Amino acid sequence: MMKMEYFKKVVKESIIILIISSLLGLISGTVLSLNEEILYSIPIILLTLPALNSLIGDISIVLVSRLTTHLYIGTIAPEVKKSARLKEDFIGLFLTIIFSFGTLMTIGYIFLSIVGKQIVNPFIIIIILSITVLILFVILFIILFIFSIFLFKKGKDPLILIPLTTSLIDFLTPLLIIILIIIFI
Amino acid sequence: MERVEDETRIRIIKELFPSEIVSIIGSILAGVILTILILPFESFAVLILMVPAILSLRGNISGPFIARTGKDLIIGDFNKGTWLQNILATLFLSLITSVLIGTISFFLNVLFFKVEAFPFYVFIAIPVISILLNLSISIPISTFLNYIAFQFGLNVNNVVNPLMTAVDDFFSVFSFYLTLLLLGVP
Repeated sequence: MMKMEYFKKVVKESIIILIISSLLGLISGTVLSLNEEILYSIPIILLTLPALNSLIGDISIVLVSRLTTHLYIGTIAPEVKKSARLKEDFIGLFLTIIFSFGTLMTIGYIFLSIVGKQIVNPFIIIIILSITVLILFVILFIILFIFSIFLFKKGKDPLILIPLTTSLIDFLTPLLIIILIIIFI
Repeated sequence: MERVEDETRIRIIKELFPSEIVSIIGSILAGVILTILILPFESFAVLILMVPAILSLRGNISGPFIARTGKDLIIGDFNKGTWLQNILATLFLSLITSVLIGTISFFLNVLFFKVEAFPFYVFIAIPVISILLNLSISIPISTFLNYIAFQFGLNVNNVVNPLMTAVDDFFSVFSFYLTLLLLGVP
């Protein structure tokens, strides 16, 4: 591309979403500090929160990247309907997030055991975190698929969804955990 | 080399899961380092306002850069021109976002927390410097990983982003810490 067209396209497509994402990030910080007592009283959540955000964020980024590539090379049609390719991606990503979550919990509990922190209600905590991960994964898969198709049809790059998605995850993960803790504990 | 359109669920798991484990370990380390290095600062109450927004830029700025590079490699659009423009756009967007984060954090502090820790320009300088420091490490590493993964026939979408999460998580915390030291933040 000539005359900085690539640069202009990236900036034009990203700027608004980035501003919204930054605002969400700052709201997330405020929500966390307002509820810090809940998070600090259950150390496994505080320890694993950044990793949980990363896990759901990574899978979402991979999903959007894969969908974008599929749309560009034509292996997924630009319409909202089930396909074998989409199903394969869903199962692959779903199983990866389950295995990764299991590993994360194991590392988290081993670390806390080493530093001698008490693990309160481990079964309920694992249920709360599992529900959070699964709800976010399924909802995000559906929403990101629909929005990717929509943007692609409009001639825009679906990759612009990534900043908004990661900020939404950074905001929704602690919020959902806090809500579930209030419900379960 | 298996093509993107032929990838099975097993291949997705095989490529993505190991990268995720590295990412998880990196994120846990980042959390531990954040607690050890940032918590002792006197102005922690103010700094914590910016931390989630600065850390989330890993996904907002670096993630799309990596994804764009990966997409360009796969669809054959990758060249020096597009790569340089991708870097320029990333840096430009980082500057705008970090100034915004600094400004809003300043006003949030004035409105809600009223902690007189440092002047307005430091609120701006902290996110700007720490994000630029992080990108100066993240951009070369991610480009190299994208290129190598592509050359080895791996799907860059599956491999590079999760690996870079670990790198970015660690270096964003470290860059934040370095910036605080550089600016002499109490």
